[in-house]
Amino acid sequence: MSNELYRLVYYSRSRIAKAGEEFKQAIEQILATSRENNLRSKVTGALIFNLGCFGQVLEGHLKDVEATFERIQQDDRHGDVSLLAVEPIEYRQFDRWAMALVSGSPDHAGALNSIGSQSGFDPSKFSADDLYATLYRLLLEEEALRA
Amino acid sequence: MSTSKTIVAASEAEQSIDLYRLRQPIFAFGYDGSVRYANDAAMQLAGDDPVSQQAFFSRVFQACRFRKPTSDIQRPTGARLPSIVGAGDGGAHVMWETPEESQIVVALTPTEIQGPGPCSFPLDELTGLSGRTQLLLALEAEIAADSNVRNDIAVYALDLDRFKFVNDTLGHPIGDELLKAVAKRLRSACRREDIIARVGGDEFVILQKNISSTADATSLAERLIDLIGRTYVINGHSVNIGLSIGIAFLETDVHSGERLLQNADLALYRAKHGGRARFALFDPELRENMQRRRAIEIDLRKALAFKQFGLVYQPQIDLAKNRVSGFEALIRWHHPERGVISPLDFIPLAEETGLIVQIGEWALRTACSDASTWQDDLSVSVNVSPMQFRGGNLADTIMSALTKSGLAPQRLELEITESALLNYTDEVLATLSAVKAHGVQVSMDDFGTGYSSLSYLQKFPFDKIKIDQSFIRGADDRVECRAVLRAVAGLGVSLGMKTIAEGVETEEQLERARLEGCTSVQGYLTGRPIPLADVGAFLRSWNQSVRKA
Repeated sequence: MSNELYRLVYYSRSRIAKAGEEFKQAIEQILATSRENNLRSKVTGALIFNLGCFGQVLEGHLKDVEATFERIQQDDRHGDVSLLAVEPIEYRQFDRWAMALVSGSPDHAGALNSIGSQSGFDPSKFSADDLYATLYRLLLEEEALRA
Repeated sequence: MSTSKTIVAASEAEQSIDLYRLRQPIFAFGYDGSVRYANDAAMQLAGDDPVSQQAFFSRVFQACRFRKPTSDIQRPTGARLPSIVGAGDGGAHVMWETPEESQIVVALTPTEIQGPGPCSFPLDELTGLSGRTQLLLALEAEIAADSNVRNDIAVYALDLDRFKFVNDTLGHPIGDELLKAVAKRLRSACRREDIIARVGGDEFVILQKNISSTADATSLAERLIDLIGRTYVINGHSVNIGLSIGIAFLETDVHSGERLLQNADLALYRAKHGGRARFALFDPELRENMQRRRAIEIDLRKALAFKQFGLVYQPQIDLAKNRVSGFEALIRWHHPERGVISPLDFIPLAEETGLIVQIGEWALRTACSDASTWQDDLSVSVNVSPMQFRGGNLADTIMSALTKSGLAPQRLELEITESALLNYTDEVLATLSAVKAHGVQVSMDDFGTGYSSLSYLQKFPFDKIKIDQSFIRGADDRVECRAVLRAVAGLGVSLGMKTIAEGVETEEQLERARLEGCTSVQGYLTGRPIPLADVGAFLRSWNQSVRKA
């Protein structure tokens, strides 16, 4: 069972009491740590931040996904974590990303806010499939823009 | 001083492991008993006073039974890792010597030991947390350490909400994984020096030193409740539980670790009753309440043993025939010092302590036997507490009470409240159906005060609805009460159930009950509760007054 591929989708409220540059740094920090951990545990996925919410998809072997999620649960920077889905999958959708941040890197000023207006993204209103599909779509769009 | 003892001996591991930080007490002894090394955990147990330290170390050394040098120890050749070796005295030790064989480094994981010789530290196998023994030893050490500074130690009693449900529905392996995850989360939220112990299936205790204020403790409690309440993902299952916490501080009047733990438990009890997923602080009032409850519980047990309970009987009047149709059995407690105690004052406690099952059975048997001496057309109604339905042998008890007394089942009426149907509805309905099949009557008591759910009236073919006395009294000056009275009486007619108005005290109320369509009344006007001996006289005087009228 622990060798099967699973996908876990959740959203949470940010408890980062910072603003502006400091906030961006905090997000970058989360992302860096997350990528480092995920590379080690072979978890892939995507993270989106908007309207005070994190939305995240994690993919990998069940035990790795569970360990990653448990780490997130113990992280004070998340609050009200809502687990939307834990389900077996055939293959990884985000296999190229240790943890993609949807909507580009935080060094674009206002980038985080702009996704909101572009995508109308409010993770708390999403179902697991919606969140997962939206993350994937936004990610591909962004890559296309950058290319 | 100890029975069987297992000693895990480490070697010069000091070089590779930070022994000083290990929570497990570790000592190094020379073969002469001299102490070469003791880590922080060991020193904490040894105390600050050199004399007690010496006594402590000598006790541990004695317990380890290193009486003679290596000659006594059959060491497996070339063993570099801890391994089980026999010591000459028959005790099984696991030990590891330093290369020069000059000293033995031992970490103690012994079994039981009595008295003040603390070297008994079984860890909780599942979670790796401390066990109860280690916790108690640490607590005792704290209490002994400094009797002046007493408010900087907090004990948190933790209990998982809904853990049993997880265990029952997802199975024990998942339950175990959950406990491990909980332990890790607790560890992550606590300071390194805090002692976290698992003291029961889903119960944990945290011992925290050097807290600076109550706010420190409450903020940790809030953090833990949030953290432990977050979703777990275990073997692909999403699992949710809650956490309740009771907090007690080491006060000057607390002289034992057990007592401090008990204080925290009392606070935990309050937290759970307050609605779970919350914390409560210990308050001396909690202890007083507990002592009062315990005193009453002891009193209640005595009352059963010394037959201090008695039944009185209140007549019920059939309005159509204007005759006594039966009596309701009401319990009284004839307390040797406090006099007659009303059921309102002791039934809730009897329910809380579970004694209601025995008291209820006594009442049932006594009422049946008393009623069997009455004329054949008189019924007896007996109150049955929701608690009596648990366990599933109430139907047997009822049938046995009937058989023994020889009372016809049709003459027994059980009065149950709506709350009996709230939980375990199926069980309760099964019991009621079983006895009803034999002819026993069943009535819904206190109707109108609780949920007054019509669905309950539908679920079981009650023979009678007892309309709560508040409506009878209230109907004197409130239209709404009169409306309820009328509606319930009407409901009874439609459903084919009798309706009895309780608490009728005036002629006016009697007339109203009759007008609104109630089939019977019960109350001070038509008859107060009377002892069994007076039942005959009451019937005679009732029949006389009816003939005169």
